[in-house]
This record gives sequence, C-alpha cells and structure tokens, in this order.
Amino acid sequence: MNQADVSKLMSQLRIAVRPTKRNLKNPDGPEGRLLKLRKTVTALVKHERIELYYNRADEARGYAELLISNAIRHGDRHKATMELADYWLLEKQLVHKLFKVLVPRYENSNVSYTRMFKAPRDYPGMYYRKSVLELRGNPYPVLTPDNSQNRNLLHNVLLDEARKEFRREKLANLANKLAAETENATASTTATPAQAPVTETQTEQSKQAEEAPKA
Amino acid sequence: MLRTVLSDLARLRLNGSVCSVTQVREKGHLNRPRLRNPYWFIRQQRSQTDDQVTGENRSFIKEVIHDTYGTPALIKGVQTYEQKQLIKTNELPVPTEPWTPAVRRCGVIARKIGQYPLWLKNGERIRTTLLQVVDNHVIKYIPPEEYKPTQRPNVHNLNRYGCVLVGAESTNPAQLTKEYCGIFRDSGVMPTKNLARFIVSPQAALAPGTPLNVGHFRVGEFVDVRGKTVYHGFQGVVKRHGFKGMPASHGVTKTHRRPGNIGGGGEKGRVWPGTKLPGHMGNRWRISKGLRIWRINTKYNVMWVQGSAVPGSTNGLVYIYDTILPLRKPQAALPMPTLYEQPEDEAPDDIWYEQVHNFKDESITYKPE
Amino acid sequence: MNINVRILTKSVAQQYAFKRIVTFSTKPTQQAAAAAVPQQQEVTGPTVRKPIVPAHYRFVYPEFLPDPKVEWRNAVREKLERLDMIDRRRQIELPEFYVGSILAVTSSDPHAAGKTSRFVGICIHRERCGLRARFILRNVIDHQGIEVVYELYDPTIQKVEVLRLEKRLDDSLFYLRDALPEFSTFDENMEAEPLEEGAPVPINDIKVVLRPRPWLERWERQNLLGVANIEQYIKDKHRKSAEKVQKPWEKYDLMKQYRATIPEEEQKEIFAEVHTELHTLELQRKRNKRKRTFVKPKHLA
Repeated sequence: MNQADVSKLMSQLRIAVRPTKRNLKNPDGPEGRLLKLRKTVTALVKHERIELYYNRADEARGYAELLISNAIRHGDRHKATMELADYWLLEKQLVHKLFKVLVPRYENSNVSYTRMFKAPRDYPGMYYRKSVLELRGNPYPVLTPDNSQNRNLLHNVLLDEARKEFRREKLANLANKLAAETENATASTTATPAQAPVTETQTEQSKQAEEAPKA
Repeated sequence: MLRTVLSDLARLRLNGSVCSVTQVREKGHLNRPRLRNPYWFIRQQRSQTDDQVTGENRSFIKEVIHDTYGTPALIKGVQTYEQKQLIKTNELPVPTEPWTPAVRRCGVIARKIGQYPLWLKNGERIRTTLLQVVDNHVIKYIPPEEYKPTQRPNVHNLNRYGCVLVGAESTNPAQLTKEYCGIFRDSGVMPTKNLARFIVSPQAALAPGTPLNVGHFRVGEFVDVRGKTVYHGFQGVVKRHGFKGMPASHGVTKTHRRPGNIGGGGEKGRVWPGTKLPGHMGNRWRISKGLRIWRINTKYNVMWVQGSAVPGSTNGLVYIYDTILPLRKPQAALPMPTLYEQPEDEAPDDIWYEQVHNFKDESITYKPE
Repeated sequence: MNINVRILTKSVAQQYAFKRIVTFSTKPTQQAAAAAVPQQQEVTGPTVRKPIVPAHYRFVYPEFLPDPKVEWRNAVREKLERLDMIDRRRQIELPEFYVGSILAVTSSDPHAAGKTSRFVGICIHRERCGLRARFILRNVIDHQGIEVVYELYDPTIQKVEVLRLEKRLDDSLFYLRDALPEFSTFDENMEAEPLEEGAPVPINDIKVVLRPRPWLERWERQNLLGVANIEQYIKDKHRKSAEKVQKPWEKYDLMKQYRATIPEEEQKEIFAEVHTELHTLELQRKRNKRKRTFVKPKHLA
C-alpha cells in the first residue's frame, strides 16, 4: 500500500474498524462475499434490527455505515452514490427509504448510525458467535435496559455516601484554611511593630555568636 | 571483629536458651515452591463489566482520581496524568558516584513507533527505527542484599546487583485490581500499564518516583533493544528460514516449497537437533544489540536507532539497555544514575549525531577534487 | 475581630454543609437524566467556519498523508515525519508535479565530473509517503531508455524544476517502457514552459503507440487509457484472460476503499497542521520567481 489513495474522499466512521477484512467463506470469491453482504445490508435497512452471526454482522456493519454516510454526504442527486445505493439495496423501495428516512434521521448525529450487540447462542448448537445488528433510532423497544440511573444498587448507595463525605471534608478544609488566613492576617497587623525589636536583638546576638569563635 | 564475635556468641546463647532443635521433616524439599514469580506479577485488570454506576458517582470517582494524582495531561507526546504526589526532580540529591564502564545502569521502557530514513552527511541513506520512551517512572529499588529472585536472570555475578522496578504509561486506577495498585503505593507513582525490572549496580540505584527520559542515553552511543518479535504462526521453511524452495515447473512435482532432504541414514539416521524445519515463527523475545542512536528528540522523548529490524511490531513495547557489546561501550561518561531534567533547562528539541544530516541544513554537495 | 471572623466562617460552613437526609429512589437525579439524553439537537448553523485548507492539497502534497495501514500508524511518528519534511522543504523548493509532468532534477553525485548531475525526464510513477516519497524519471538518451529513481526528500537533491506541468490519463506510465522511444524522449536542454497562475493543470490526452509483443507487463489487463494500439497486438485468448481478471465489483467495495484512504476529517487535521508553513513557502517561491525574471530577462540575454 504505502501511499494513501487520494482519488476518493470518505468521511470517518464512528465505529471501530478492523484492519483487515474477513473473507466470509465463499465459493465465488471476493465477489460472492459482496453479494452475500448485500443481502445483510438490505435486510438491515429494511427491518432495522436483525440477528445473525457475528462475523457477517461485523463485516456488513461497515458497509451499511459507509452507505449511509455517503448518502448524507452527497445526497440523492449524486450519480455515483445512487449507483452505490442501487447495488447495495436489493429491494428498490429501500433506496427511497435511505434518502428520505435515514438521511434526515442521521444528518445531525455525531455517533455511529448502527449498533451491534453480542447475542447469546443456543447450546448445543452451532458454535458461531451470534449478534444483533440494528440501526439507531429504530422503533423497537431497547435491547439492553439502562441501569446506570439505578441509585439503589449497593455500590451506588455507598458511593453516594462517600461523595457526600468527600464534599463535606473538602468544605471543612476550605473553611479552616480561610479562618487560618484571616487569623494570620489580623495577627500580623497587630504583631509587626512589637516583633521588630525582637528580630533586631536576635540578629545582634547571632552577630556576636559569629564573632566569638573568630576571637 | 571482636564485637561481631561477641554478638555471635550472644545469639548462640539466646538460641540455646529457647530451642536449639531445627525441625527436619521428610520430603520437605519436594513441597518447596521451585518457581516463584516476582511479587509484581499480579492480575492487573479488573473484570471489565458494566458497573452500572450513576453518572454522578462516575464523575465523583474521576474527581477523586484527579484529586490524588492530578488531571490528565499530554506530557511529551504521551497521554498521561500530571502526577502531583511525585518527588520533583530538582529536589533529588545529586549523585556523586561517577560513571565507569563496569556500572550497569537502569534501562527504559519504550514503544516502537515506526521507522523512516535519515541521511548521513556523506549522502548515505540509513534506515532508522523510532523508539519513544513512554512516561517512565521508577517504582522501587531493591538492593543487592534483598534481590534474590527464584528465577535467576542470566547475569554474571548477580549477587552484586540490585534491581530497579520501572513502570510506564500511567492509567486510570479504577480499571486495575487493588493488589496491583498496591505495588505503587509507596512510590507515589500513579499505577502504570507496564512494568519492567532492570538489573542495576548499587551505584546506579534510583529513588522511587524518578522519571526516566530519553536524556538517559546519549546520541552516538549504542543500545540493546529487547522486544517480542511479530508472530507469524506456523510457517514453512521458505518463510521461516529463507529456503529457496524448488522450481515451479520443469518437471518438479509436489515439492515447490518443501525443505527437501534433512539428513543421511545409517548411524546418523535421525533428525539432528537444530535442523531447520517448519514450525512456529516469531513471538519470541529477541535482543538486537549494538544499535547506534542517531538522533534524539527531547520534546517527544523519541530516539532514532540504527536499522529497521528492531524486534516487535509498530506500537509494541520494547526495552532499551546500554549495550553489553564490549567494543561498543560508551567512551564518554553517561549520565549517572540518570539525567535529571530541570524544568528551566533549555535544551534543543532535536539532538543530532555529528555524522547525520540535519534537515534544517542546506543540501549536501561534494567538493571537486 | 478574630471572633467576628470565626463566627462568619462557622456560619458559612453551616450554610454549605449537606443535610443528612438519605433518600433512596429509583428515579434518576435530574442532572444524570439530563446527561443521559443524547444531545442530537445541536444545531451547527452559521458557526461552522469554512475550511482554510484548499481542497486540492491532497493531490499537490500526497506524501503528507500517512500510510493508511492501521497497524503501522502512530500519531507521534507521523508528526515528527511531517516536521522533518517541512524542514527540508524550507531548504529546497519541491514544486507541485504529477505523473506525466516533465522534470529536471539536479543532484549531487560524487562520481560525476562536476560533482553534480542533471537529469531531465518524464515522471512515470510516484509512490510512498512521508520522507520515503519517491518518483521515477524516464528519458531516452542515445537510443537507450534511462530511468532514475529519486527520493523527494533526499538531501543530495539540489534542485527540482518542473519543465512542463501536466497530467496524463493514467496513474502510472510504466507502459512507456514498452512504447516507441519517441514517446519518452525529451530534450535535455528543454526550456521550462510556465503555466498561467491559477490555471488548472492541463491533462495531456496523448495516446502512446506500443511496440509489438513481448511486453514487460500484460498491458491489456490494466484498462489503460493512454495507449492507442493495444488491440492491434492482442488475440482472443488474451482478451478472454483479461476479462477473467477484471474486478468490476471493486467500485462497490466501500470498505476496501475506506481502508485504502485517509478519512476526510483526518486529512483536514493533517493539512491544517502544515498548511500555514506550506502556504508561506509557496508565496515565497512565487515572489522569488518574479524577482528572478525581473533581474535576468530571458529574451534580452
């Protein structure tokens, strides 16, 4: 490779991209791989949430992301993008969905357009890993309930208390500091004239002490 | 002398008064642990599950971490934390021991960040590898009396040397186990992702918390770089040992990339040890020795060393030592035990070896004879 | 006074101390709930600034873009490499050129008579990135085809002149090796043909004539645009085998393209870093050129 291809310009993907592709075992070679992935991308755009083998989902995800990002980038008046959509979406009514539904949905988003979850697999059965691939903003109920707001979990209760304690201590420290500073300030204003002669006598004494060994 | 004899006697008497019988049990030697790992070989990562901590608490944990170790900062091109607890380098005592060729100094942990060519002043092109010293701090020094490893490293006269534990790349301690964080507690260093021990002479001992920078080494000197080579899996002899293979045509059947004959019969009718055969390739610790440092960048803690075949992958960890090759030992004194960088020092960013062409200089021309 | 201060601080502390009321609820706190809502409604309207970096920079300075192979990338290395490239560019003028442009390169050569050598030729290939960037010049001298590989950032190069700035129809012109020699013959004493400022780089749509087989490569498989007579020399079996190795699906392979390119956002970042330097160097060069023409008018000499 050694040099970046400058003839094309693409937007950065918001998903983690593998450095190399998976071959997805196919008798038709690389062309067959794309034909296979085409079906997955079409199904994803059509159903918005699909369950399939992990490898295939992970491969198809990149293509779906790039298809949407190209559609957002160039719009439906761009010939090359339309050709791409025509190739990747087997059912032609989905081309309309891509440009009229998905593009407005993701235009202003700053996260990835798809999500992928690891799915459980039945035992005993096929040993391939399974996954769920979905478009963001789909109409189905969420797959993983968000528990991060649950304050009743034990560690959250403990952390809450620790936080309060931490804040209280910090405030107390601050107040102490403030008090000490003001005290110092008042002490210094009152004590400076009284201290001055003391320091003088001290210096005299030290001078004498220095001279003594010399003598 | 007399005092030691007396104290010995006193101890004898004391022992005698309590119990002088040492118990000897059978088979005790069999239960003795033969292979004990160093104490810093502990599980590092906590289990990576979703904690379901509320947002408030998450930010609280972050705040506590920043409160104890300092806020995240980009120091010398490495994402790390400004470590508040550390001893400042200018407060450290200036070492008095001079450098001698017999002294073993501490090494550093670095990352191989890639390779690109440099040119010498005579127009010759050299291939160099860039090694970045990543946020190194000394965590502990174990003096020679206490350093008694069960797995003895292959170092001559090991009993004369101590050991320095060095950590690299500070990381969020919330992701680490409690035991692993405990290693760092006394040093005041933030827990790090990587640890390494270096065998050092007692004169080259380092105080915990001392940062190690690329200034530890000098331009023009030689270093040994240790790394784990790239894993290629099970490979045939052509890739693994560079055999030629056999022709693709001209009547050759079924032996295009095979090793061919591996020995005779009779007395020697067996596979001789060391015969080059297919097998696992790479994924081994290798040291490339005697690499010259051509250039040093103190701003990003990067050094350019000779050659493009330093073991390890790009962005992989390597360990850099002073070379052990006797003919490439440094001539001038090296910084002992390390270079304490003062913040007010205004060293140039780039230090070039005298033979290397600086890109800021004019083009190379040859004088007509 | 002291007493006053103490009372004040105490009251402050009391005011700010948290009350010990422990309430447990499954409801998220207001701040947390607000944080959890994805903020997609950020309107980026008139605040978006226009990019300063010209869009054609990736064609003019392709070697500033790193190798897209993910395993070999490192931000610090790339940055240091760019700094070195800029340092070198401050010393020597490395003009804009493309595959198909005619260049004259003057370089130090310890074996040459005057310790320098000048080579004029057509750039048939450009490759590699960073300090390793290099190009191949080709010319026919005394009926002998000569090719020289130059490294762009090699400090022994003293001068790079673009005699004719133009592009060809193909990305690399290796087929000139199999073409008739007049297509890669260029006069050594050729004068530079200046291009009007701001004009687009012209594309030379010349079609070269190949010699009969045998060839160095199977040109019929490479879909070349700049070759006139490829049909003349190929038979049906060649046509069939060429068809077999075509990969028409690759233009739909988005991920392959993505892995071979540097994404636009990253390109912007990279060029924003070096843009000011490159721009000042360009301006300086233009100024110098004008000065030079004024000092030494060609027609009067």
